[in-house]
Amino acid sequence: MARYAMVIDLDRCTGCRACMQACKVENNTPMANFWMYVFRFEEGEYPNTHVWFMPRPCMHCDNAPCAKVCPVGARYKRVDGLVATDWDRCIGCRYCEVACPYGVNYFNWKKPSKNYYLDWQDEDVVQVTGGAVPPYRNPDLDAPYGEEHRRTAGGGRLKGVIEKCTFCVHRVERGLKPACVENCPLFALHFGDLDDPNSTVAQLLRRKPSFRLLEELGTEPRVYYIGGHPPSTESRQIEEVKARV
Amino acid sequence: MATRVEQLPYGIGRFSTRLYLLLAVLLVLVGWGIFAYSREFVEGLAMTGLRNIGTMGGATWGLYVSFVIYFVGVSFAGITMAALIRLFRLDHLRPLSRMAEALTVIALVLAAFTILLDLGQPLRGVINLFRYARPQSPFFGTFTLVISGYLFASLIYLYLDGRRDAALLARQPGPLRGFYRLWAAGYRDTPAERTRHERVSFWLAIAIVPLLVTAHSTLGFVFGIQSGRPGWFSTLQAPGFVVMAGVSGIGLLLVIAAVMRVVLAEREQLHEGIFRWLGTLLLLLILAYLYFMVVEVLTTTYAGHHHEVRISLSLLTGQFAWLFWGAVAALVLAVIVLLLPYLPPGLRARVPATRPRWALVFGAAALVPASLVALQGLNLLTVLSAGARSLLAWLAVALALLCFLLLLPHLSRNVVAAAATAGILVNVAAIGKRLLIVVPSQTHGTLLPYGDGTYTPTWVEVSIVIGLFALGTLLYTLFFKVFPIMEVHAAEEGAQ
Repeated sequence: MARYAMVIDLDRCTGCRACMQACKVENNTPMANFWMYVFRFEEGEYPNTHVWFMPRPCMHCDNAPCAKVCPVGARYKRVDGLVATDWDRCIGCRYCEVACPYGVNYFNWKKPSKNYYLDWQDEDVVQVTGGAVPPYRNPDLDAPYGEEHRRTAGGGRLKGVIEKCTFCVHRVERGLKPACVENCPLFALHFGDLDDPNSTVAQLLRRKPSFRLLEELGTEPRVYYIGGHPPSTESRQIEEVKARV
Repeated sequence: MATRVEQLPYGIGRFSTRLYLLLAVLLVLVGWGIFAYSREFVEGLAMTGLRNIGTMGGATWGLYVSFVIYFVGVSFAGITMAALIRLFRLDHLRPLSRMAEALTVIALVLAAFTILLDLGQPLRGVINLFRYARPQSPFFGTFTLVISGYLFASLIYLYLDGRRDAALLARQPGPLRGFYRLWAAGYRDTPAERTRHERVSFWLAIAIVPLLVTAHSTLGFVFGIQSGRPGWFSTLQAPGFVVMAGVSGIGLLLVIAAVMRVVLAEREQLHEGIFRWLGTLLLLLILAYLYFMVVEVLTTTYAGHHHEVRISLSLLTGQFAWLFWGAVAALVLAVIVLLLPYLPPGLRARVPATRPRWALVFGAAALVPASLVALQGLNLLTVLSAGARSLLAWLAVALALLCFLLLLPHLSRNVVAAAATAGILVNVAAIGKRLLIVVPSQTHGTLLPYGDGTYTPTWVEVSIVIGLFALGTLLYTLFFKVFPIMEVHAAEEGAQ
């Protein structure tokens, strides 16, 4: 069985947020839900400042606090290491969200079709789309995935359920890489099988020192960072995203 | 004798105009709550002030979860009374037994409702929580031990405890006779039956007592074992929940007992000794809780890492300071009130006699600026500037303190009023503390540098919570209008 992991090269990341865009298009996530989020940090005092960027997908922890607390088993750990959310079973208690130290869970506060960046009910928009909401809906997301055959792919499903980064399970199962990895113009994101010694992720982790976020909590994340350092008390976010629901 | 037989005890079945008025007001409030929930059900939780933790800068658990804990905490009263009366043979507390059990049952029903209100998919919740239940989730304990086990045990205890009275009341003709017969279920109050009942209730009380600790601890564990949430992750969380549950539960029971004493004019049954005894128990629990609080704040501010410090500072001096210090003040004032019966007699004689009327005037006056500030805080009123707002807030505090000071001489002579005042104060504090447990760890406790969040409940959440309180009061009022709230008098037994 594969042991999927992501390696993020902080030296290469320029904070262009193409990964965030790719994720939104691929997974049809509603407004203000960022399954992939890129922190833009600033450190030091003028004129000695340093700006750096840190992409933050779901960490797909081996000892996932969110999967532990889910009262109905909608959040679970797959054998290949992906932490999946069964939107067909989720009751919307949001316990996973408070348990997660990384803040990667996003709740559908209202009907996702009413919460996209465009008003799909608008007359002018309907003329173009023919009433489809949203018109670019990815058909791959509708199939059940994994040995368990559960509805775990994509976002923007129902109001009142939790969704988060799936590592693009619908792509990974077809042998493709997650959308964020595929779209990074600077090859800062890498995805692959840790058990395969020839995979990029295994090679990178052999060659370079790495760290994982909040490792001290014992969550055993599957996302490794190379070429940088974890955010500290010195790291200030430059522009924060504001809630829009 | 004939008139005496027709009159059921404790005002059962007698509905005065004032009572109808009360029921009408409560029904309107419940209806308003249902309307508010219908908005939430249709539009989703976007109608609430809850938002995602992290990039959205919000709290995903808020008022609802706080009130789940509060309601479960209040349900503490029932077990405590059962345990105290049966196991420690404190028979003089017996008149409170049924009041406490009814409070427990109704509080747990409200808690179950509140959990469903908080779910994004409530209909799924009802099914999936049973269908896919996972014992590994801390919620499992909430549903099995608290909502199911505790509620079920309390219902049975209430039923068994009331069977004798039902049998006695079923002897009299009346519209409720069938109901009492059903409740009595063949029980005729023979000596043999009575001893058997005593025995069963005793063992049931023993069986419920472990729930006293475990049930309230499970709710503490929902928060206490989340290593990713500074402010929650603490071994003191579970014991703190048990103690705070005791404080709020006994506090509310004291308020209810004081109201019953006045409404039913039962000064002999609900004598001052009860209030003095329970008041002292409440006092000890408050002191224990204050001790826990000091320990917690000292540990987190002195030795905690910067995330813990950030939350502590938001409580002590930051965004939540008004609520934190308000809750502390309420607890301290409750301690002062509960210490009044221990004034030396010489000192008490020198306290000037005052009427509570002026205190009540100031208290009512304090509500005006307080509600203005509250409306502004909920974004329902936007005319006040920040300066005017803080001025009004301090005015409310000053008026409330004046009210308290003017009330003190009266309270030092009236044990019942003192116990009820303390009960109200600790419940205000309990609600505040519950919010402070739930919210700051989400808005100020993110381990990645997301920046501080905010949480302001909307009119939907506030209306629903008010509706829940109205529903609880409604159920309670109706219950004691169809069933005796205390054991039927020994004198009336003799009359049969």
